[in-house]
Amino acid sequence: MTGLGAFLRFEVLRLLRNPRYVAITLGFPVVFYSLFLHSLQPAVHLAGTTWNTYFMVSMASFGAVVAALNAGGTRLAAERASGWTRQLSVTPLPTWSYIATKIAASMVIALPVICVVEMTGLLIGGVRLGLETWLLLTAVLWAGTLPFVVLGVLVGFVASSETAYPLVTALMFLLSFFGGLFTPVGDMPTVLRHVAAFLPSYHGASLGWAVVAGRAPALRDAGVLCVYALALGLAVNWRHRAEESRAFA
Amino acid sequence: MRFCSVVHRYRSVVALDHVDLEVARGETLALLGPNGAGKSTAISILLGLQRAQEGTISVLGTDPRAAMVSGKVGAMLQVGGGSGLPYGVKVGDLVAMTARLYRHPADVARTLARAGLTGLADRQTQRLSGGQAQRVRFALAIAGNPELVFLDEPTVAMDVEGRRSFWAMMRGFAGEGRTVVFATHHLDEADAVADRIVVLRKGAVVANGAASTIKATVATRRLRFVSEGADPARLREFDGVDAASVRGSEVVLDSLDADATVRSLVASGMPFSDLEVTGADLEQAFVALTCDLANVQTVDDAISNRLRDTRSETAA
Repeated sequence: MTGLGAFLRFEVLRLLRNPRYVAITLGFPVVFYSLFLHSLQPAVHLAGTTWNTYFMVSMASFGAVVAALNAGGTRLAAERASGWTRQLSVTPLPTWSYIATKIAASMVIALPVICVVEMTGLLIGGVRLGLETWLLLTAVLWAGTLPFVVLGVLVGFVASSETAYPLVTALMFLLSFFGGLFTPVGDMPTVLRHVAAFLPSYHGASLGWAVVAGRAPALRDAGVLCVYALALGLAVNWRHRAEESRAFA
Repeated sequence: MRFCSVVHRYRSVVALDHVDLEVARGETLALLGPNGAGKSTAISILLGLQRAQEGTISVLGTDPRAAMVSGKVGAMLQVGGGSGLPYGVKVGDLVAMTARLYRHPADVARTLARAGLTGLADRQTQRLSGGQAQRVRFALAIAGNPELVFLDEPTVAMDVEGRRSFWAMMRGFAGEGRTVVFATHHLDEADAVADRIVVLRKGAVVANGAASTIKATVATRRLRFVSEGADPARLREFDGVDAASVRGSEVVLDSLDADATVRSLVASGMPFSDLEVTGADLEQAFVALTCDLANVQTVDDAISNRLRDTRSETAA
């Protein structure tokens, strides 16, 4: 399917050429990491690792969440409003390919964001990990991005082009804050700890925290993320169908 | 392309009521009708965006969706308020990507030139004017080198000059043996561009033929002459006269039988000069075909009789 490849390439390039998108997705996690690295002693022990490493994982997760939500939500809502999605429906592309390509493009774009934050950890935070750990960390964080990618697409279908941006921004910070990406979950009040246990942002980062602490990623975290991805995927499918049948009524 | 006895309803509203359409390869067909006549519904069914509730549809010898996937069909849809384009991309890149979705695409530079976009290839889509965005959508419709193109009100919101150059572009494209089906409510476009016109009214085909045939469908002839002090009441007594108006010395009669009216005029002994008899123009035909002429029973009957004739001819 050369057509699909061309479309995916087009979507990824369009994201990379958007200076606002690149500034937000790379700028936020890198700047936050550099700023808050010294809010504790970088070498302080925490959850089986040290703060500089732990917080690098948090910010890589945060970066992936930002990249995923922004790639899907805001643009998809704008493209629905402009009529581009309808124009695509009268090309040879299969009907599922618009959503599939959005998801694939968001995944593609999330990987370099995770890597850049890891580089920042390496260069500024003094994080030292073995090559295998680096690779495994990158892999689990990347895989854990999927629910957010699907959530971004869902926001694009639910929101209008005016409401998508504020909604994405709100979700991005709420999920990150309550998921323990800014403050370690262990330091949170009990109530918030229970809230975090429900959030995919907590479980996504937990995969990475386990890897840097030398533990195997927990099946429970992976399971929660899968359930989120599946449920959000069903919601996207439902909204997409509703939209298609409503387009002419 | 064939469209047989298609019925489509939106809840209680019948959008298409046993519509038959057939378009030959290389033909340019206009779907003409007021808003809500069923033009867009017909096009979206032909594009496979909607499934007809009844009837059979064949596009390029297969079903609409398969024809679309085969890459031989291009389309320009109505986009409501938006531009119909994604943002953050250059016009040239967008057209190139779209071309790659098709199996045998047209050359990108040629598509851009054809749509009058050569100078705009490096322009970002969000910085286009409305008319330019419309030209880009036309370029997207033809980027795949399609055999068959559907255009749903392609010149809506274009100014006169924009429409003129759009149809010049379109004629060049159709001239290469491609089939074009377009919906419009601009009579002059249908008249000037289409080989054949199908007039839709409330989901039914009320006329089908070349522009000249459709004009002839309407029985009304218009007689003009100059006569001092003509009395409208007396003019209406003439045979065949349906409406009469007198403005100064200029008299205009609408007649269902121009020959009889002229004979009455001569027999009346009324002095007259500069007599002129003209057929209805497409606009009059269109109005007659698509409006409820509830108060003019005779004209209505005349039109429906003539339509029945035309339709049985078309069917035969």
